[in-house]
Amino acid sequence: MKTTIQELDGNMVAFLEGSLDTSVVPETEKAMSPLYDCDKDIIIDCTDMNYISSGGLRIFLGILKKAQGKGKHVYIKGISDDVRAVFAMTGFTHLFEFK
Amino acid sequence: MGNKVTLDAHGEALMQQYRELKPTLEQLAKDAFALLSDALKEQGIYVTAMEYRVKKEHSLEGKIELKGAKYKSIDDITDLVGLRVITFYTDEVDKVAAIAQRIFDIDWQESVDKRRLHELDAFGYNSLHYICRMKEGGPRFELQMRTALQHVWSTIEHDTGYKGDVKIPREYLRQFSRLAGMLELIDNEFSRLRLVLTDYQRQIQALVKNGQLKDVPLSPDSFRNYLDLHPFDRLNKRIAAVNQAEIYPVSMMPYLPVLESFGIETLEDVQHFIDENSEDAFQLAVSQLAVTNLDILSSAKALEYLCLVYVLNHDGGRKGLKFIYDTINGESDTNNILADMILEQARTLSFMNNN
Repeated sequence: MKTTIQELDGNMVAFLEGSLDTSVVPETEKAMSPLYDCDKDIIIDCTDMNYISSGGLRIFLGILKKAQGKGKHVYIKGISDDVRAVFAMTGFTHLFEFK
Repeated sequence: MGNKVTLDAHGEALMQQYRELKPTLEQLAKDAFALLSDALKEQGIYVTAMEYRVKKEHSLEGKIELKGAKYKSIDDITDLVGLRVITFYTDEVDKVAAIAQRIFDIDWQESVDKRRLHELDAFGYNSLHYICRMKEGGPRFELQMRTALQHVWSTIEHDTGYKGDVKIPREYLRQFSRLAGMLELIDNEFSRLRLVLTDYQRQIQALVKNGQLKDVPLSPDSFRNYLDLHPFDRLNKRIAAVNQAEIYPVSMMPYLPVLESFGIETLEDVQHFIDENSEDAFQLAVSQLAVTNLDILSSAKALEYLCLVYVLNHDGGRKGLKFIYDTINGESDTNNILADMILEQARTLSFMNNN
């Protein structure tokens, strides 16, 4: 699992590559920690992410909660049908904005 | 451009005092505005608008040209700084006034409740004006408090300039007077309506609390109160138990339009909807979740499954399922994928084969 954080066009963008399974949740959460404290809209680019576990969802929800507290948006980009199904099955689709 | 103003020596002296005082006035305007804003916020009073201004030089020159002899010093002019609060309702004007009395020193000699100045056949619809001073001292300033409709009246009155040199015929004054009366009546009706609605909300809350759901129409307010009874908790916990999942709290209000689209009219109907669809909803949840290791679910999941099985049991098909997802997630073609996923998972379930 590879996580890259960049500031692009005034947004904080996280590029996720690989499988966000339970084993990589701690390291991914650490890599995404700049997103918790940033004061910008956030884009999580999932174009190259092929799986998300419950732990991965918890990271996304944590980032969303922090961002909403600051009146910021969290966009999820490039999501695959399989990952979308996980969001739908857990009932979190409507919380996020998908690009 | 305004006409050139001619001031005598006393007027010029007043203007000089004003120029020297201006930085103080600007700071005062900001401080008084901030103090009042914070106090209103603290008391939960939301107003239509709040504004402040320091009197412009040309405006003061005009005033001094007209009435300069009346003022011994610049301190006698009380509206160099003006604050204005525009409220929604008439009773809120008095609430703002009460707060102003607490946070500022009020000069009662100079303050005017123009609302009470009118005779029975009076003309005009005005506001409450206080002349205030910060508790710590400094120049006085004017605080105007009025409703939105009083503001409309004052603005139009100012625009028409009926107080000018030309004598307005009695017929037109009477038209103004009629409009003023109408605005006052509307203001009072809005306040009355608000009281009625607040009372209605309290009644609904009491009915929901006492479980008298039959008499409670489904609405955003009643549904919100109903959710305080945690009507979906039992099913949520059954579903969560499938994977020993954590239930993550989210709002269920986005589902209200879906329930309304099912023809549900009262909270009792919602209760029946839960009772009648819970077993099927649980079946669908198990078929979807048991093959995964997802151990976090939104608290809206039970309600979502109830809505999905309701559609399946009423032959809503793919279109009906997509409508639910479109309503909750926002319209998108990808909601067709979610609808197809549910259709596929529900195909083998007993309730689908009993219909």
